[in-house]
Amino acid sequence: MSGSGALENANPLIFQRSGARLLTASDEDEDVHDPIDDREIFDILVVMSINDPEHPLSLEELNVVEQVRVQVNDTDSTVGIEFTPTIPHCSMATLIGLSIKVKLLRSLPDRFKIDVHITPGTHASEDAVNKQLADKERVAAALENSQLLEVVNQCLSTKSL
Amino acid sequence: MASHFSGVLKLTDLDDFITPSQECVKPVKLEKKPGQSVTKIQIEDDGSYFQINQDGGKQKLEKAKITLNDCLACSGCITSAESVLIAQQSQEEIYKVLRNNKLASATEQMVVVVSVSPQSRASLAARFGMSSSETGRRLTSFFKGLGVHHVFDTGFSRTFSLLESQQEFLERFQRREQDKTALPMLTSSCPGWVCYAEKTHGEFILPYISTTRSPQQMMGSLVKDYFAGKQGLNPRQIYHVAVMPCYDKKLEASRPDFYLDEEESREVDLVITSGEVLSMLEQEKVILNEVEMAPLDELFSNMSGCGNELLSHAGGGSGGYLHHVFIHTAKQLFGEEVKELTYKTLKNKDFQEVTLEKDGVVLLRFATSYGFRNIQNLVQKLKRGKSPYHFVEVMACPSGSLNGGGQLKALPNQTSKELLQQVEQIYMADMPSIPEEDARVAELYRSWLQGVGEERAKQLLRTQYHGVEKISNGLIIKW
Amino acid sequence: MTDARLVLAERFNAHPDSRCWHVAWNPAGTLMASCGGDRAIRIWGKEGDSWKCLSVLQDGHQRTVRRVAWSPCGTYLASASFDATTCIWKKKQDDFECLTTLEGHENEVKCVTWAPSGNLLATCSRDKSVWVWEVDEEDEYECVTVINSHTQDVKHVVWHPTQELLASASYDNNICVYKEEDDDWECKATLEGHTSTVWSLTFDPSGQRLASCSDDRTVKIWKCQNLEGSGVCPCATVEDAFGSWTCVCTLSGFHGRTVYDIAWCRLTGALVTACGDDGVRVFKEDVTADPDQPTFSLAAHVSKAHSQDVNCVVWNPKEAGLLASCSDNGEIALWRYQEDDE
Repeated sequence: MSGSGALENANPLIFQRSGARLLTASDEDEDVHDPIDDREIFDILVVMSINDPEHPLSLEELNVVEQVRVQVNDTDSTVGIEFTPTIPHCSMATLIGLSIKVKLLRSLPDRFKIDVHITPGTHASEDAVNKQLADKERVAAALENSQLLEVVNQCLSTKSL
Repeated sequence: MASHFSGVLKLTDLDDFITPSQECVKPVKLEKKPGQSVTKIQIEDDGSYFQINQDGGKQKLEKAKITLNDCLACSGCITSAESVLIAQQSQEEIYKVLRNNKLASATEQMVVVVSVSPQSRASLAARFGMSSSETGRRLTSFFKGLGVHHVFDTGFSRTFSLLESQQEFLERFQRREQDKTALPMLTSSCPGWVCYAEKTHGEFILPYISTTRSPQQMMGSLVKDYFAGKQGLNPRQIYHVAVMPCYDKKLEASRPDFYLDEEESREVDLVITSGEVLSMLEQEKVILNEVEMAPLDELFSNMSGCGNELLSHAGGGSGGYLHHVFIHTAKQLFGEEVKELTYKTLKNKDFQEVTLEKDGVVLLRFATSYGFRNIQNLVQKLKRGKSPYHFVEVMACPSGSLNGGGQLKALPNQTSKELLQQVEQIYMADMPSIPEEDARVAELYRSWLQGVGEERAKQLLRTQYHGVEKISNGLIIKW
Repeated sequence: MTDARLVLAERFNAHPDSRCWHVAWNPAGTLMASCGGDRAIRIWGKEGDSWKCLSVLQDGHQRTVRRVAWSPCGTYLASASFDATTCIWKKKQDDFECLTTLEGHENEVKCVTWAPSGNLLATCSRDKSVWVWEVDEEDEYECVTVINSHTQDVKHVVWHPTQELLASASYDNNICVYKEEDDDWECKATLEGHTSTVWSLTFDPSGQRLASCSDDRTVKIWKCQNLEGSGVCPCATVEDAFGSWTCVCTLSGFHGRTVYDIAWCRLTGALVTACGDDGVRVFKEDVTADPDQPTFSLAAHVSKAHSQDVNCVVWNPKEAGLLASCSDNGEIALWRYQEDDE
């Protein structure tokens, strides 16, 4: 129930960002098949921000996504993400989850099956949010709603670093 | 939590899964004081929130509260208003007032008025095996025993609703050529229907809806204006409770249109359902047919000359609007004396038609449209410009008001259909009164309404409707 | 896997750069209608050896077209859309014109289907309701009932193959069955058993059994009890007994992800599923098993039937074994299900 201008979690804990990725020789070699890995997905997500004018923090800084909670299997074409809402009653959880899902749908090849879940035990309506995020029909319909899409796109707009 | 609201309101509930207290998305305005943006919020172990100011001072933050008004103005859910309702509109509230009265000094006591609807009386009558009048007299006795000062009958205020409807229809009929939204006139006494219309069809449908107040809110005017004036009371000193067949009536009473701003008082302070009266009886360990009969409160009761019998209005359990307006209009505009109306059942029993024909020409075409499916067809026909009706009596509940969601539920040994039949029989057994022949109502039009002036009389007898804008804030859209 | 095969006959891109949500055969089995995220409906017919797009129905809907259904006479097409409306199209020579738009649902309409008589139409929506509409001689549609038996998004509605009995599947994990009583439609039973969203339902050819598929990755077979042969009341018809159903079989362990669609072939009795793991699977019933404990075996399986989720599978109503499927990648594939002679 966030009011206009009132923050639900006005003073979130802020976490340090992980360092830049070290490039290996094979990363730069374009002839080598470069499977998508956890770190790559993580890098896609960490730059996402929950666009609040007062707290333009990235998902990583809010500890919403962590690399250890990203599971990628390139051979099976599956990506699993667990995200952690900032507080257990966070009313933005569904929206954050939807934004993560959309970001991945847009970034990954079509062959990938993307599962976005809430980190177990971190949200009061965990099962309900997970079920809704897993329902591709609901997600598809949501993304046809221009007002909702606008909010999602705001979340996805890369934070200027 | 099972919802008590009528079906039309349930459908507009778009909420999906979060528990009621959390699923409300109505943004609450918080007063934000300038220059205080740098504060911390601390959450205590008990879950309460404190704001820590820069000077280190602590301030407990109020929990945001949603009122029924907020619910009415929001295009989101309706069923999560249930918890709000329980807090603001339950039988506990009348007990609170009655308890306070016992403790308060004479000047601080509230005058408690209970206005009982004929439909609620019929529902209780069926349970206790009595006639409607007998139920009225025993209920009067029961409420007065609890400390209620007056028990009125909304059958009385309904006479005003019928007369105003008739008047409004004639006005609309006269301007039907110039004003495309003059007809059909759609009745407004069912708050579930009005709420649905405001939330779903907004400005398109609202001009068709009769501006005449429902009997509940007519009684609100009578009690908080006329009665208060007579008694030399401020409306705030009167606690007005309505007993209704329907939960949606609680929403109606909460409309800002029925709040007296100057006096800071609601015209109907509380609505309890027939079923909630039954719980009160149970709580008091009272069996209604064993309560002594008290004389009826003559001031606002629709009753026979001898004062023993409560009267009804012809034309069925939903108030008889179609019946009265039809008979009156036929006579007034076409000089036809209609003795009996012939209802033609159309698609189903809840969609019926009555016509006045002369020389093969249809002069008047009226219909009843009860229940959500028939409301849908009515609205869609209107949208396509294919509605042939001049007047439609609209009710959200299938079978109309006697079948309201606040009525007593069937006992284990009967089906709800059998119960409804029984309630209908009891309701119809009352002798009908003829609105324009009610001398006391005519007298009130003269003494009360002419006295207050035309504009004020309009405020007291009519109301208005407000389309609700759809939620457009992406943050709170349910998907 | 036993003695049968699923052979690809043809594959084409039906809704380019979009999702193909549904495909439906006309009653004669000569045309297909498909719909998708591109808001269009396409009509497909066979020209020579391959399927060609005969017409594109645009401008009917403002958002995704989720489902299309042919009327039993094959002259009308109904389309359900996320724009909260249902359009009725009438075939005029080779083209279709939009006759009317049914409004009333609060939000996304998920499914539409005609009763076998062609006089009734059922729709369902995320608004949790199931509506039945009646058609008169002048092609006017009126709402006959609005039923609110589900507590969540209703995903699918299906009519009994021969009678005016209805079943629906929902995000609330349940299935509801309905029939008309007196003056209105009533929910006669709620079938509980799935542990997540039920996506689709299909009646067996006799109409005595119902198969459901779910996000819980299982398929369940439900049987209408006290029917002839099962003892309780031999005189009872499906209509009389429509309220009592029991789950007689659960197919688990076969599907890797959500099962989005299921179809029972009226000609062969084979059961086919569409799965979010990109697979199409055909199950065959062991006809010798006890009717109250039926057994189904996986007869054919194409694991990568499409490169993305399979949304829909439909048997051709006239040509035994001809199957159409469609996918998130916008494609339609046609398959031949062949049972090798033993």
